[in-house]
Amino acid sequence: MSKSYRDGLPITSEEFVSQLMRLKRGSIGRRDFLGLTGLGIATAVLGRELGLSPTPVNAAENLGDRMSIATWPNYHDPATFENFTKDTGVAVQVNVFGSNEEMLAKLQAGGSGWSLYVPTNYTISTYKKLDIIEPLDMSKLGNFDSKSEDGRFTAEGAIDGVVYAVPKNWGTTGFAVNTKKLAKPMTTWKDFWDVAMAEGDGRTMVHDYQLTTIGNALKYFGFSFNSLKSDELAKAEELLIKAKPHLFAVSSDYQPPMRAGDAWMTMCWTNDGAQLNRDIPDIAYVLGKEGGEIWTDFYAIPKDAPNKPAGYALLNYLMNPQVAVKEHLANGAPSTDARVNALLPKEVLDNPILYPAADLLSPLEFGAAATLTDPARAELMARFKSA
Amino acid sequence: MHGSAFRHKLLTVLLLAPATVWLVVFLVLPFVAIVVFSVGERAPEGGYQAAFTMAQYANLPARATAFWNTLILAPVGAFACLLVAYPVAYYLALRAPERWRLILLALIVIPFWTSLLMRTYAWMYILGGRGIPALLSYIGIEDLRLINTPGAVLLGIVYGYLPLMILPIYVSLERLDRRLLEASADLGAKPLSTFVGVTLRLSLPGVMTGLSLVMILLLGEYLIPSLLGGGKVFFIGNALVDLFLQSRNWPFGSAIAVTLVFVSVVVLIIANRVSTRFSGARQVDLI
Amino acid sequence: MRAFIVAVFAFLYLPIALVVLFSLNAGRHASELTGFSTQWYGKALANPFLVEALKNSLFIATTSALLAAVFGTAAALGLARVNIRTRTIFDALLGAAIVVPGVVIGISTLVALVQLFAVVNPFVASIWPGSTPPRLALGYGSIVAAHGLFSMALVSMIVRTRLGSLDRNLVEASSDLYATPLTTFHSIVLPQIMPAILAGFLLAFTFSFDDFIIAFFVAGAQTTLPIYVFASIRRGITPEINAIATIVLCASVLMVVFAQLLLRKTKPSH
Repeated sequence: MSKSYRDGLPITSEEFVSQLMRLKRGSIGRRDFLGLTGLGIATAVLGRELGLSPTPVNAAENLGDRMSIATWPNYHDPATFENFTKDTGVAVQVNVFGSNEEMLAKLQAGGSGWSLYVPTNYTISTYKKLDIIEPLDMSKLGNFDSKSEDGRFTAEGAIDGVVYAVPKNWGTTGFAVNTKKLAKPMTTWKDFWDVAMAEGDGRTMVHDYQLTTIGNALKYFGFSFNSLKSDELAKAEELLIKAKPHLFAVSSDYQPPMRAGDAWMTMCWTNDGAQLNRDIPDIAYVLGKEGGEIWTDFYAIPKDAPNKPAGYALLNYLMNPQVAVKEHLANGAPSTDARVNALLPKEVLDNPILYPAADLLSPLEFGAAATLTDPARAELMARFKSA
Repeated sequence: MHGSAFRHKLLTVLLLAPATVWLVVFLVLPFVAIVVFSVGERAPEGGYQAAFTMAQYANLPARATAFWNTLILAPVGAFACLLVAYPVAYYLALRAPERWRLILLALIVIPFWTSLLMRTYAWMYILGGRGIPALLSYIGIEDLRLINTPGAVLLGIVYGYLPLMILPIYVSLERLDRRLLEASADLGAKPLSTFVGVTLRLSLPGVMTGLSLVMILLLGEYLIPSLLGGGKVFFIGNALVDLFLQSRNWPFGSAIAVTLVFVSVVVLIIANRVSTRFSGARQVDLI
Repeated sequence: MRAFIVAVFAFLYLPIALVVLFSLNAGRHASELTGFSTQWYGKALANPFLVEALKNSLFIATTSALLAAVFGTAAALGLARVNIRTRTIFDALLGAAIVVPGVVIGISTLVALVQLFAVVNPFVASIWPGSTPPRLALGYGSIVAAHGLFSMALVSMIVRTRLGSLDRNLVEASSDLYATPLTTFHSIVLPQIMPAILAGFLLAFTFSFDDFIIAFFVAGAQTTLPIYVFASIRRGITPEINAIATIVLCASVLMVVFAQLLLRKTKPSH
């Protein structure tokens, strides 16, 4: 990037529009757009005016020179970590996982090496029960403001008044469709599975994640997304096994094949749906009418984190609304923080992928803690994958 | 005299001690551990909980497809490897000009020094939508799907294990007494019957070594199916890793591991039997 | 025939060519060629995690191959001195170390070590006088040990084959001439088995350097190059990884050429 928003160069309206069109076509990223058009400096100035500038990182504490974070595919603006490294000298290694089970397995085995990770709402109580999650020292998180958080999404971060995790963003689980390849309009999970076995044969992806893959198969029959009933799970398994030969892949990193045209339809989280649709407008994001998942992802620190000071420092950095808004623009999932929403451009706040209509939102369910450890669901998923 | 016998014994013990400790601590103990785990139960949050039950073994049929995939694709992969490898080894050993031979051999081995992961990743690109399918769409073949198919996995297998198949066959062909070939021709045998009657027969030990080597390694294969099979073409190795990394069912995973060891040993015994039967000789040593 | 051979070599080198090509990519992704640049070589060498992974891999491969070469050779020599029953037991164990799939080695070592640590660590802590008792954990040690298991078995097998074809007359002649066993070993046996030991060392090094699945389970918080590459494939490979792979490839090709030249110099008769 030759022109940085730090240069604060003015931009003509024609240039602005042409950059906006480039952004829409996906030829430049959000960050470049912000830089080129000077929107970045505008938000920065605005932030300073509103008293939202970053609290300086406590220089007295030794942060070391590296740390590692466990997170989800395509979930961050790579520039966020580069800037953090520039500011603090701490290099950040990003590890990517496709399911909460995988993160849990790594933490249970010990020696994960992470100093920060991104668990989903319903898993936090289990981490607490297993005593592998650090109660957060809120005094180190000056940038976090519980008053600006939306209570609907943040409740599960605290247990018995102790905060174990602070929210990153919320979102939904629907599916993304390449409408150029699959023109038939789809609105339900029934459509998803039926098309997967017909027009979408060999081109459909499901998550490598029991909660959503089993949950959305349960929705086909109108059962609860979180069901643990053996007869309902048996029907879901039947559907999954029937669909298996027709799938393209079982993987939670579906953006690359969707972009390359290998896959035409996939189970999809809000943020990926927004990113795909932003870059390839032919890819639509659909929420199943029957319902499905609504979620909040949190930041948390493992108890055996090798570099807790850096974990706290990065977490505090990410809680800074200035940083979070850029993260948000790259990631595409809706924020839980009112301070961040205040900084967002209108077209983001109006994006129906991020903020679905109320009738689509109301049937959604948060994941239930029991699904994470339920042996029947775990084994069902494993059977499905090895079938 | 007694002193010297004692010294002889002491030296033997000292020579064998490190290997013994290593084998016991890192082979025998781990095996005992998974046998013990395999009769245990999954803890409520995942992991292991002590018990004595055969339930895990009773559940083995739940992975029948993965076992089946492995037991089919391992020999198919090994034979596909053989079909490609034999002509190469034959050319290297009997046809290639002397001064080229060493260079060509080196060229066979060099890929081993680039990470198999990277090379397989390159295949993900070649077989993926931006690779061959994109090229084919220029000539009007649309929407061809190559990646995440059994074919892609088979190709990855042939690619990854080709050098391991070429080398033993090359060694056995290279040791072939050329006078036998000349004698066969002098006695009026046609080239084809010389090939079948002499060359092929005498290279069988190398062929059998290559086949059993590749087959044994394929039984525990994890990477190639997971990268080129997209989580769809599951080998037993993948099912095993999945049980530890996703469903956290250590006892069941242990039962599968024990079974896999058992299957490997059986396959090896069968391979040895077949090879002695066909080649009438022990397998080729690779050095 | 020729055409087929050429095709096979093309097949072998096509992916390698792609790896090298994308290391020169200007863009951020290793999947879209957007121009040429050597910037990723600099970035790769400035990436502390990648460099650490490379260093770890070199360290682990060297250590495990060295240990395997020494202990494997010792075992091969020792096995030539024991009765048939002992030898059969060792044969079975060494054979098992080679045949048992890597994925099982990795998992069973993990399972055993986790249990072992769960017993040993509290015990050590209870008798430790200071406030921070040492804690055993997965890491370099466990990877070296697990890699060394396979490598040691490999070396001992290779060396034993070589010992079998050793010229017995020379050994006998040596002791007839009142050479001590050590002298005999040093001047007669060792030179003859040295090529086998070296071959074993090289194979062991190569195996350890490229192994993913065993290290994946027993590495703990350590990262080796294959583990780093695997993680990168999941988060989207940048040409940094291609750059490192290319550097490793060039280094090993150079090493082979160098070794060949050295061999030719020392053995002019060939």
